[in-house]
Amino acid sequence: MLDGILFEKAGIPAASIVTDVFEGTGHAMAQSWGLPDYKFLSLPHPIANLSEAQLDQRAREIVPEIVKLLLQGQE
Amino acid sequence: MTTQLASKRYAVEDLNHAIEFCYQQGWTDGLPVVPPTERAVRAMLDAAGLEPDKQVAFITNRQVAVSAEKVAVNAVMAGCLPEYMPIVVAAVEALAEPKWGYHGPATSTGGAAVLMIVNGPIAARLGFNSGDNLFGPGWRANATTGRAVRLVMRNVIGTLPGALDRGTVGHPGKYSYVIAENEADSPWTPFHVERGFKAEQSVVTVMAAEGPHQFYNQLSSTAKGVLTSLCDDMKHHGSTNGQPQYVVVLAGEHMRTIARDGWSKADIQKFVFENTQNSLAHIKRVERLAGAVTPEDETTMRPLVPSPEDVHVIAAGGRAGAFSCYIPAWAGGKKSSQSVSKLIQDRRA
Repeated sequence: MLDGILFEKAGIPAASIVTDVFEGTGHAMAQSWGLPDYKFLSLPHPIANLSEAQLDQRAREIVPEIVKLLLQGQE
Repeated sequence: MTTQLASKRYAVEDLNHAIEFCYQQGWTDGLPVVPPTERAVRAMLDAAGLEPDKQVAFITNRQVAVSAEKVAVNAVMAGCLPEYMPIVVAAVEALAEPKWGYHGPATSTGGAAVLMIVNGPIAARLGFNSGDNLFGPGWRANATTGRAVRLVMRNVIGTLPGALDRGTVGHPGKYSYVIAENEADSPWTPFHVERGFKAEQSVVTVMAAEGPHQFYNQLSSTAKGVLTSLCDDMKHHGSTNGQPQYVVVLAGEHMRTIARDGWSKADIQKFVFENTQNSLAHIKRVERLAGAVTPEDETTMRPLVPSPEDVHVIAAGGRAGAFSCYIPAWAGGKKSSQSVSKLIQDRRA
């Protein structure tokens, strides 16, 4: 989340992704940086114990959202 | 002290209402707090020789500046005596050090608390417990300085459970987790002197830490015997094998047994470093590391910490009993968080 915020502040488009149980934490972090409306993406939790094939599937599902967020930006 | 206090004032009916008001505002750790009156906050600042607007710390990855006034407010709420204030200030300064890396250990699901180790003359002067029931309740200095630091984390830096504190199970050290080294009885160099301070200086060390794990050895009369039990327990302690550092607290009986064999803290560190290593094969078999076990994994050893110096040996704990303990640091690796020692300063003119 912080890396994404810092990239955006430096003018580099970024898409931060959290797993769904960390959405509140993501919002709190963005809030502490003065960006309460910061947009980020969310994946189902957990991911650390997924197989490579399952991870690939998750990635495929979220790629369109990543592209959309990168193109749309934080505006 | 000339600068006005900047904190907002609230009118309340009486002491009980003030305590309940603090609960309603979400300013407590679950226990009642002492309402921070202007007079009490002033006394706290005066005891440390600090102006209220003095910036004690800046938490970079939260963009939060922590003023001396806010530290004093939370020290009052925690129940500190004014003379404890310089210790709380030094600990908060330490949390802002890049080496401690606030965001990771404060936020992580790993659930670390802030272990504080107090060294130097201030420990005995202010009544910090370094002996019986070391981590237990009953000593105001231990109980309230750590509590004050946690309240600063919560109320000033925004480290709220469920939001920016995501400890999965956490541990009771998040209320307060403060010990002093028993320098009077210790046969060894005090911890702060090992870290480059003078014996007559007072120092607080902070480490992002899991809970203390007690171990037992009543049978051995040698340093090697006692420490072999420690290492057997410690090497399989059950976290992620990513700890950058450990604290080993050696209590009275074990301390005397080890010292009788002439072992220094450096000897203990070396022994622990060498005897707590696990093979990659073992780590993979118990599913803490991904991948299939290869023949080389059987003989490739992984140390618990990067170097012997990362085992911090502290002499503390009760005089009787065949127990000591070890404390794993937060498992974020050395780049994420390391222990930090800070001089406790008397800034009064």
